[in-house]
Amino acid sequence: MLRLIGRRLLFMVPTLILASMLIFALAEVLPGNVGRSILGIYAPQQAVDNLNHQLGADRPLVVRWGTWAGHFVEGNWGISPVQKVPVRPTVLKALGYSVVLAGFALVVIVPIAILLGVFAGLRRDSVLDRGITISTLSMTVIPEFVSGVVLLWVFAVWLKWLPVTALPPDGSPFYERFYYLILPAIPLMFLELGYIARMARVGTVQVLAMPYIRTAVLKGLPRRRVIFGHVLRNAMVPTVTVIGSQVGWLIGGLVVVETLFAYPGIGQLMVRSAQQHDIPMLEASVLMVAVLYMVANLIADIVVALLNPRIRMGG
Amino acid sequence: MAGDGTNLGPNPDLQTEGWRPDADPEMLELQADAASARQTEELHADAAAEREQRRQRRYLVRALLRSPTFMTGMVIVLFWVFMALFSAYVTQSPTNVDAAASLKAPSVAHLFGTDELGRDVLARTMAGARTVLIIAPLATILALLWGGIIGLVAGFYRGYTDEVIMRLIDVLLALPIVITSILVLSLLGTGLTIIIITIGALFTPVVSRTVRAAVIGEREREYVMAARLRGERSAFVMAREILPNITQPIIVEGTIRLGYAVFTAATLSFLGFGLGPPSPDWGLTIANERIYLQVAPWTVLFPALALASLVVGVNLITDGLGRVFSK
Repeated sequence: MLRLIGRRLLFMVPTLILASMLIFALAEVLPGNVGRSILGIYAPQQAVDNLNHQLGADRPLVVRWGTWAGHFVEGNWGISPVQKVPVRPTVLKALGYSVVLAGFALVVIVPIAILLGVFAGLRRDSVLDRGITISTLSMTVIPEFVSGVVLLWVFAVWLKWLPVTALPPDGSPFYERFYYLILPAIPLMFLELGYIARMARVGTVQVLAMPYIRTAVLKGLPRRRVIFGHVLRNAMVPTVTVIGSQVGWLIGGLVVVETLFAYPGIGQLMVRSAQQHDIPMLEASVLMVAVLYMVANLIADIVVALLNPRIRMGG
Repeated sequence: MAGDGTNLGPNPDLQTEGWRPDADPEMLELQADAASARQTEELHADAAAEREQRRQRRYLVRALLRSPTFMTGMVIVLFWVFMALFSAYVTQSPTNVDAAASLKAPSVAHLFGTDELGRDVLARTMAGARTVLIIAPLATILALLWGGIIGLVAGFYRGYTDEVIMRLIDVLLALPIVITSILVLSLLGTGLTIIIITIGALFTPVVSRTVRAAVIGEREREYVMAARLRGERSAFVMAREILPNITQPIIVEGTIRLGYAVFTAATLSFLGFGLGPPSPDWGLTIANERIYLQVAPWTVLFPALALASLVVGVNLITDGLGRVFSK
């Protein structure tokens, strides 16, 4: 088990290095002239050259990547030339906000989605199964900002059950925060719902066809114990894997939801930095998202291993 | 030069010096007969194969026509395609400003109401389908083309080529697609062509994975072996032998990607990386009008519902196709 985690951690290093190169290349090579893209097309050439020299953009690319990555590892993430604030605390604070929002959405939706999927799988091909499959699928494929504005209108404007903003006023007690998070979290939940429910359904259908289920039923185990002890546990493996692989879409969803609800998370920071050509801020936030993405996949792998005795014992 | 294999006539044994088979009228006749007999035989075989193919295709089409999921999706998508093409003849102008009729609730004159500039929301909602329906299919076609080629090559050659291609693809998939597109579009600027190419390029890795898996399933089959033994070139085997046999997974992958392409295109335009005003694009409209959600919800809700219906329609088609093909 420990060896498995170690191996996966080791595998993350080259991927992370390559991802950082990709981000660096996208951010520093594509715009051509960094100084020009910061100062705009009307700035004098002299000023552009000076800024390029000051930023080190006139040195070879590999050297620049090395310096950037080195500083990043040391914790020196630079200062935003646009906002004039240090990058690291800004990015980490935004990341914290995003993790709270995404975590809240996942904690609520994962059990619901799994239950719906297992329920559909147990009544395969019935009207209920088709109903659950089609409706969860529709919720998943509708863009978050569409479900977001509709929900905002229904619950905040029309029924007035929930607040319009995503953050409570300063000085509110801690639990107040979650009340304000309900509305932004629902589009994220929709996003995950369909895939998780579908995998739980497929897993259930597959497990139900296994000989050991027939054995369990024939030896007279009560239905509840067959479902909770055998079906649910074994249907979990593909389900957890898909939760890990969906983290990319969840992060994309965060970008949209945070923009829609003006929530100060990493997604909003990324969009704003991209619009303002705030390159150090953009690079740092995208790299942190890549790290988050890989860590989420690692956690999913570990949970799958814990659920599957063959991997757990085999190391 | 008889019998050295470089000059294979109809019958090498008869090729004696000074005698040319194509100069002998009797020989010519025989040759023609044999050729036509061979042709008819081939034609028969071809015709049988074609009939079989046509029969299968007819069966698939009939199964699709009977699938309520597929047909519902088709009706929704075709409605939006029709609106994208002809909404100018059906509704008022989507960009006609009328300051006197700003933010009016739905009425007989404006069935969906008006926005802050007095523009007809019905007209804008109908015309809003256009950008998404240009971007998404073209991006999907690009992704299928590039992903198809990469997947064929990786799956066909395997070995070192495959290893290198697949590792590169892993790295490309290390970042969420929305993030990479924001990165690219913010740095390159926006415009229809750039958006189409970006989405197409970012969907390529996933498509090539699917195609590669399908190719690996086919490459050990007898017909591939036969084509190789015949001495066909690799490009021919890939394009003319393997490709026709993996069209079904490619079509399903294409419709899945189309759904995601609509989703991604709409999301990018909502985030401000698509076309600018006064385009009636749905994502852009929702982003710009959402400040009026409390006073004039119709300006936001109608485009939102329209976009939702299109996305659900495309996904119903995918679901229906997948169901029929997997039978």
